[in-house]
Amino acid sequence: MVSVAARRPRVTGRRYRSVTLGALGLIGFGLVLEVAPRIGVVPIDFAPPTSQILVTLVEQLDQGSFWTALLRTLTTWASGLAIAVVAGAVIGVLLGSLPILRAATATTIEFLRPIPSVALIPLVIVLYGTTPRSTITLVVYAAFWQMLIQVMHGVADVDPVALDTARSFRLGPWAKVRYVVWPSALPYVMTGLRLAAAVALILTITGELVIGSPGLGKEIDTAQQSNEVRTVYALILVTGVLGVLINLVIRRGERALLSWHPANRAEKGAA
Amino acid sequence: MRILWRILLAIGLPVVLVAGWWFDSAGSEDFYQPALSTIVDAFGRTWTWEMFQEQVFPSLWRLLAGYFLAVLLGVALGALIGLSRSSRQVLEPVLEFLRAFPPPVLVPIAILLAGIGDRTKILVIVFGCVWPVLLNTIEGVRARDEVLSDTCRTYRITGLLRLRHLVLRAASPQIVTGARQALPLAIILMVISEMMAANEGLGFTVLQFQRGFQIPEMWSGVLLLGLIGIVLSLLFRLAERSLLGWYHGQRAGQREF
Amino acid sequence: MLEVKNLHKVYDGHGRRVTAVGDLTFSVPEGQFACVVGPSGCGKTTLLRVLAGLLPATSGEVRVQDAPVTAPPPGLAVVFQEYGRSLFPWLRVRENVELPLKAQGMARAERRKLAADALAAVALSDADSAYPWQLSGGMQQRVAIARAIAFQPKVLLMDEPFAAVDAQTRADLEDLVRSVWQRLGVTLLFVTHDIDEAVYLGQRVIVLSASPTTVAEDLTVDLPADRDQLTTRSDPRFTELRSQVYARIRKVKAPASEGAPA
Repeated sequence: MVSVAARRPRVTGRRYRSVTLGALGLIGFGLVLEVAPRIGVVPIDFAPPTSQILVTLVEQLDQGSFWTALLRTLTTWASGLAIAVVAGAVIGVLLGSLPILRAATATTIEFLRPIPSVALIPLVIVLYGTTPRSTITLVVYAAFWQMLIQVMHGVADVDPVALDTARSFRLGPWAKVRYVVWPSALPYVMTGLRLAAAVALILTITGELVIGSPGLGKEIDTAQQSNEVRTVYALILVTGVLGVLINLVIRRGERALLSWHPANRAEKGAA
Repeated sequence: MRILWRILLAIGLPVVLVAGWWFDSAGSEDFYQPALSTIVDAFGRTWTWEMFQEQVFPSLWRLLAGYFLAVLLGVALGALIGLSRSSRQVLEPVLEFLRAFPPPVLVPIAILLAGIGDRTKILVIVFGCVWPVLLNTIEGVRARDEVLSDTCRTYRITGLLRLRHLVLRAASPQIVTGARQALPLAIILMVISEMMAANEGLGFTVLQFQRGFQIPEMWSGVLLLGLIGIVLSLLFRLAERSLLGWYHGQRAGQREF
Repeated sequence: MLEVKNLHKVYDGHGRRVTAVGDLTFSVPEGQFACVVGPSGCGKTTLLRVLAGLLPATSGEVRVQDAPVTAPPPGLAVVFQEYGRSLFPWLRVRENVELPLKAQGMARAERRKLAADALAAVALSDADSAYPWQLSGGMQQRVAIARAIAFQPKVLLMDEPFAAVDAQTRADLEDLVRSVWQRLGVTLLFVTHDIDEAVYLGQRVIVLSASPTTVAEDLTVDLPADRDQLTTRSDPRFTELRSQVYARIRKVKAPASEGAPA
């Protein structure tokens, strides 16, 4: 028996400390970015202080063109991601459940996967011009692999002991999928979704920047070419916020769906 | 017999795909999608040794320089930050914020700050690639095994020896994961920076082909970029296998349950 | 050699106070093989960690070789229960054994010799260029023991080293530890939950009570110095001693006698 004296949880004490430190870090960072240009560490013409960036950002929010571009980016990102996720999941499940297929496609995947999607940029330009379709193609190509690899591993890595248990309880194929395969693969599916979403954002911005399809990336490029420095930074800030939001939303979803799962999710072969 | 089957499985699908492409596109009249034979022909014509020296090697050199600098920086900083709990707590939100920016946006900033040139391109790659390495190193260094740590304390293994073994080598699987994530990023950034802010280099050349409607040459360039991606990925795998042989062996042993 | 006086250790965390060790006092003279047993959760591991300098005491005094313990004391080696996690997986067996010596700045030739001797003492000379994870659990623990031997400590602490090893291997390892102890003449403190093991191995068995931990009993094991798995364990004196220890543990487990020493 252990003598325990119950007390008010000290957990808040430790958490409190880390939150304050973190906040301090952020504030300090913001301060550095504010002060550095003003004292000339970085050229103020090309690296404006935070306050000016924020002001420009607010001005941007007033402009219709900004919202159109933002919407465009989100649409491109979402459509590309959706296609990639569905294709990746379907093919991933197929490959994951049939070892013979996995073996037959292994080398093909290993060859196609490392091909940088940016290599396709000139191709999509000639095929689809500067329409969003070009960028979506890039997004799909890059995000697909992230999803595929994760789902494939998730399905293939189902605990054989669990499967045997299911079999000994005479669960039919559908029940097996529902009670063993799906929950076991779910963490991988979520990881795949998260990685794919991040990569999709990167390629969306890339496509808009380089190809010039409509969206935030294009606005950034235009602003840079006309030397509207503050606009460039303001828009970049928006992309950063987008990245954070997307990550947050997916992590929330992950936590909600996987609250029961032991925190043992390795990112299998995450590229 | 088994070996034959293995080989068949390995090259079967790729061969079928390539052959399919070849025959399907043979005699193609489409200006934008020439026959594979034409592309291969253009490949041989375009990528001569001089071409390699003028355009490809400089790009590769920038890529590798940027990548290795990023890895070094990421590991060094990551180890420093990972070892100190207070630095971690202070810097974590800032780092999470910074890593959320899609790396390609670095290119316009770099153009604003440093114009067009070799140094810019390397800087872009460094600043884009350092994040996965940094964050993974911090994570790897932080999650030190307690028993191993206690062992070092009792046997008084300190200083450089401790840094080398307990900190870095223990974290090396995680560090390598970071390096693996950074590699495709480096390639992306190299190509983008050359397509947007350059007057020479592989990315620039391929884009020029597109602009000049030299379509077979453009395709050959795309192929070359793809090949470079594949080769680099393979080299990385080889390096990883030698560096992390112990790790894979250990995990294989554990799985035997 | 080892002195523990009124050791008191309290863990404070997650809103709870846990008294791991109540009031512990005992001492181990030089060269003795002492075993520590007790019910689970009685702070055996805490005691060992404080002795090893890995954990500070809340109050009380702990001395090793007459010096108070504030950090891992020199000349003291520890063998942990989790052998898999205490060996460096990227180093070969030989390099694992040599590492602490390398940290001391010992010359390579001398290191090699000490390591080779230590590995021979645990009958692992053949495995010196293998990686730890290529070996079985028992062999890995032997590597850990060899590492401790090569370190040439004055004091050896072992924290339930054979708990994670199968019974047959355990018997071999127990005999190995006794022979190592006899050869090196170290002061050995052996923590275990296995009563039979404690009586078989030790010259003395210290029985701890449940939390708040104190010394419930301190037995001298008057079995012959030459121990053998078969004969010693069927010796009637062995059975007597082990029953005594077992009875004591049963008593200290029951709530009625919480914390009450013999």
